[in-house]
Amino acid sequence: MSYDPLGISSLSGYGNSFWQVNRVASGVVIILIYLAIVIIFGVIISGFISKIYRDQDNWLTPISGRIVSFFEKIIGEGSERQMKFREYFLTLLFFNAAAGVISFIFIFYQRDFPFAFANNHMTASLTFNTVSSFLTNTNLQHYSNPFDLSYLSQTFVITGLMFLSAGTGFAASMAFIRGILQDKGTIGNFYHDFLVSIFYLILPLTLLVTVILILSGIPETTLSYISVQPVFSSIAYKVPLGSVATLEAIKNIGTNGGGFYGANAAFPFENPNWFTNITEFTSFLLIPLGSIIALGKVFSNRRFMVMLVSVLMIFFVFTAFLTFYGEITGIPSLSTLGVIYNGNMVGKETAIGIAGSSIFSIGATITSTGASNAMLAAYSPAGLLGNLVNLLINDPVGGIGTGVLNIFTSVIFTVFIASLMVGKLPELMSIKIGSKEIKYSTLSLITHPLLIIIPLGVTLMIPSIMASFTNPKPDAITELLYEFATSASNNGSEVGGFLTNQVYFNVLDGIIMILGRYVIMGFQLKIADLFSNKKPKVEIGKSIDTGSFYFGLMLLGVMILVGLLSFFPILALGPILSWAKAFEQSIWMVIR
Amino acid sequence: MKEYGSIIKGTLEKFRPDFQMKNPVMFVTEIAFIISIFVMFFPSYFDAPSTGVYVSFYLAVAILLFLTLLFSNLSTTLSEEQSKSISASLKKMKTDTNANRVTDHGKETVPSDQLKSGDMVIVSAGEVIPGDGEVVSGSGYVNESNVTGESRPIRKLQGDSVTGSTILQTDELVIRITANPGETYIDKMIEIVEAAVREKTPNEIALSTLLSGLTLIFLMVTASIFALSNFLGFTSNLDILIVLLIALIPTTIGGLMPAIGIAAVNKISQFNVISKSGRAVENAGDVDTIILDKTGTVTMGDREAIRFYPNSGVQETEFMRYSALASLQDNTMEGMSIVKLAREKGVEVSVSDLAGFEFLPFSADTRFSGIKGKDTYIYKGALSTMLKNHKLSDTFIVALCKEISLRGGTALPVVKDGKFVGVIELNDTLKPGIKQRLDLLKKMNIKTIMCTGDDEVTASYFSNLSGIDEYVANSTPVDKFNVVISEKAKQRMVAMVGDGTNDAPALAKADVGMAMNKGTAPAKDAANMIDLDSDPTKLMDVIFIGKQILITRGALTTFSIANDVSKYFVIIPAMFYFIPALGALNILGLENPLTAITSALIFNTIIIPLMVPMAIRGVKYRPSSIAELFRRNILIYGLGGIIVPFLAIKVIYVLLSILGVGW
Repeated sequence: MSYDPLGISSLSGYGNSFWQVNRVASGVVIILIYLAIVIIFGVIISGFISKIYRDQDNWLTPISGRIVSFFEKIIGEGSERQMKFREYFLTLLFFNAAAGVISFIFIFYQRDFPFAFANNHMTASLTFNTVSSFLTNTNLQHYSNPFDLSYLSQTFVITGLMFLSAGTGFAASMAFIRGILQDKGTIGNFYHDFLVSIFYLILPLTLLVTVILILSGIPETTLSYISVQPVFSSIAYKVPLGSVATLEAIKNIGTNGGGFYGANAAFPFENPNWFTNITEFTSFLLIPLGSIIALGKVFSNRRFMVMLVSVLMIFFVFTAFLTFYGEITGIPSLSTLGVIYNGNMVGKETAIGIAGSSIFSIGATITSTGASNAMLAAYSPAGLLGNLVNLLINDPVGGIGTGVLNIFTSVIFTVFIASLMVGKLPELMSIKIGSKEIKYSTLSLITHPLLIIIPLGVTLMIPSIMASFTNPKPDAITELLYEFATSASNNGSEVGGFLTNQVYFNVLDGIIMILGRYVIMGFQLKIADLFSNKKPKVEIGKSIDTGSFYFGLMLLGVMILVGLLSFFPILALGPILSWAKAFEQSIWMVIR
Repeated sequence: MKEYGSIIKGTLEKFRPDFQMKNPVMFVTEIAFIISIFVMFFPSYFDAPSTGVYVSFYLAVAILLFLTLLFSNLSTTLSEEQSKSISASLKKMKTDTNANRVTDHGKETVPSDQLKSGDMVIVSAGEVIPGDGEVVSGSGYVNESNVTGESRPIRKLQGDSVTGSTILQTDELVIRITANPGETYIDKMIEIVEAAVREKTPNEIALSTLLSGLTLIFLMVTASIFALSNFLGFTSNLDILIVLLIALIPTTIGGLMPAIGIAAVNKISQFNVISKSGRAVENAGDVDTIILDKTGTVTMGDREAIRFYPNSGVQETEFMRYSALASLQDNTMEGMSIVKLAREKGVEVSVSDLAGFEFLPFSADTRFSGIKGKDTYIYKGALSTMLKNHKLSDTFIVALCKEISLRGGTALPVVKDGKFVGVIELNDTLKPGIKQRLDLLKKMNIKTIMCTGDDEVTASYFSNLSGIDEYVANSTPVDKFNVVISEKAKQRMVAMVGDGTNDAPALAKADVGMAMNKGTAPAKDAANMIDLDSDPTKLMDVIFIGKQILITRGALTTFSIANDVSKYFVIIPAMFYFIPALGALNILGLENPLTAITSALIFNTIIIPLMVPMAIRGVKYRPSSIAELFRRNILIYGLGGIIVPFLAIKVIYVLLSILGVGW
């Protein structure tokens, strides 16, 4: 028990039961409950997702199937016309680029459209950043919502891009899986896959989550704002309103993360209580985790799926408890000053608490959601490190669709080395992995760290840019690393700590987001293309058992060694240094 | 001494940047080495401290980087020397001689290197066969010891292939040359061994892509430290950054990769197998299905007597004596084996016992053989013949014969004076050790298919006996081809052995086709490996070697990457020793930062020569199940790769401290 001469802990309603007194124990239990819930829902939806992946009918076919074929008739495309990699990827790129250009024009000239206020404006660089951000499923927000965006931009462009980016991501994973399952040289029809993603999966789930959120008290209205006058205040504040519940639903279901309010899920209208917190957490993990669990059925290889989920859960548990540890300990040196210190509540919503905030932010960074229900800038160094670790490994569970692509890239890399170690040429799902697959898997694995390290090194050398960083230098390194990591991994969570809305960061982050999304996706779909030309082997015995404990161990090792440890020097001078600093006052003086 | 000269020359030659460029890991190391020399001489130019301890540190770094390059080059050169000596011994085989070419006008004498494909030559006893070819007429014994090492002369008949530079010992042969100058078999072998130095297999390409990718990341990370420390307000020592970079990039596998590749082909060559490409050797390691011939591969190929079954009322020794007497003058393998077996069982017979007997040899008309005296005879022959000729009926003998044939054997009933005295069981026998080898293949998840011209019963008997997975009875060469096609349709890697011209299509289609040296020229052309000793079971050795090469590469890669963990934890805290907050990362507790960094680099350097024997000889490969092998190797090279350097660096650090090398 900490030093508490005034008995504040009992006064502030902590109560005296075991769980109320032992906040570490209750926090651990809360985190485990969150993890258990998300696995249960992941398993529930995995059967449905596996049917989509295998192009099988499911119970939504009577409705969604009609909608999909209706749209296919209009555009004159359909699953009958299968595309090879080049056409598929170019279609995907063109479709995204077109949406990007239109969105850019719309937002840049939003004041000339109806329902706009005079102060709805974004500079060209901010528009570029915002469009690339929502287009790439990143949802990094360099603007302060919602005055910069008109209601029309918010409702159509932002929400539209949220659906589009989620649909694109899932379509890419459908194409990837088809490349493995089929051997016809084609990977599907992008339009079909996109429509299927939207109408079978994303839209129905969004509607479901919207209803749940409305029922739990999140606003969904056509009112533009309400006025609030706090008791002790002389002025009334205008709090914007709108279709918050819908935006919240697609924000989470589509692993987008950009909220209606600038404070994101920390704002009570987005996330009022523990129930909405757990609902939102579950909804952004639902499809990414469900897709990976679905792989067991898709490839009839349950062991492989269990291995993947276990490896991902190790990251999940490790980072969740690292962050929780960081937040519950807070700044240890503060306790020595005689302050009663029950963990770092700075920037956290009291209704949600430390455990609920820690697991929420980890869930948002282990997927590419990036939503936050607390202020990450106020996290302790260790708490932030947990989130950063996930970003540096390129969001292990991944975004909608991209999680499947990313984990396969690491698996291919691992299978290659593992197979060599047993004297076999590598194969995955009984398909031979050639030197080209290794090439593209290596390229997609190194693109992510390069997109972080190179801009980081360059930016640090520009004093005028670094001048806007106000925190101590190791913290500035962490903030800068976080900024590029969240862009490269298309995550979108933000620490800030510096002026983000400046031309340099708007443009640079925008480019990183676009490269991090499409270059890596291109390499990954190229692998699918190579697989799509190969027939699977009729196995005699097992080659490397990708479901075995030791394979999982090796995959974990590869993800840590290649993904995370290459950042070790930077981590040492950034978050680890800040963390260590939190224990030692002296270092404050040395590096300032 | 000449050899040392060429090793030194080869090693030094490889310092040339255009050599190193092919290997990005080593190229980066070389550039780092050059920079380290500049730092050593002009530290102030690089903002590096130039006090006493640092000067010796810079010297140490330069020396260690030089050694890293040297060890890598040396390992490659050693492998190359090995292949040079193999190709030199191949060249020695090649004997230039004069040939008697048959032309429209008669014979003319030309140097052997002017013979073209299609030329006819006459070779007489004692002459060297001038080129690869096929016997058109004549027959004779050829001594092939200079090519195969087999000293027993081989009989060559019309249609057999002969190899240039072998020696005809008897008779005269007319040979049609099948290879143009420079394309003979030995020429090709020399070319293959020498080419192995250059060619990269797809697998090697994949691995070097992966290693280049890692190198690029580490290069960028190291470069970013400049910016980081600059921002934090201190200058980082370029030399220490260089050490960090070299320690992180996979120098162990990068430095040894060329050596491993060359060693692969050398190793196969030492087994007296010539592989036409490195790729074939790798494929051999990955084989899923092996197609084997029964005769000569699984079994000895000769029918031998294996047991005597006397009829009721006949003593066993008595029966054995009758059988031996009937076979004493029988020169067939079967006859000789009956006498041999009887003698082994203690029956004494000699030619003198046959006084007054006439030997009737086996003929296609009579279908029996034996001895005939004045009023007595002993005949042996097929059951149907015996029953018909002697109008006998004996249910016991008939049943016995049926039982023997059911287990794939041949029953040879013996009749003496109108009565069955017993049955000799003849059977083919398994090659010694074949069952153990097939068991190993099974453990390695390799499917075996036996193709035999024998009937169903024999085929099934021997496949059960030896542990073959599948067999094709009554098979023709076309069947063999079909088996290859159907296995390939299942995307399996197929290996097979062949020697006849009609095996050629199947050999060409198989991923690993090994032709016997005694086989015909088309078979050898179609195959991607040739076994000089003509031993079909060698295919299995080739598979082991193929696996070993892949394992060596995989193990060294894992080890190399795993090593990085310790290097991070040694170099980073040492590099930023002036930030006490990072002391927690110094888990080895190395107090002197420069010595710690040097220790890490020393480990990084000496691990290369320590691994050279493994690279050249290959990782010890005990055939076992894949799961078991994976578990063992991941523990040894993965986990070991993490732990060993921690211990080694600590030991090196302590040793350096004891020696007083504290900078």
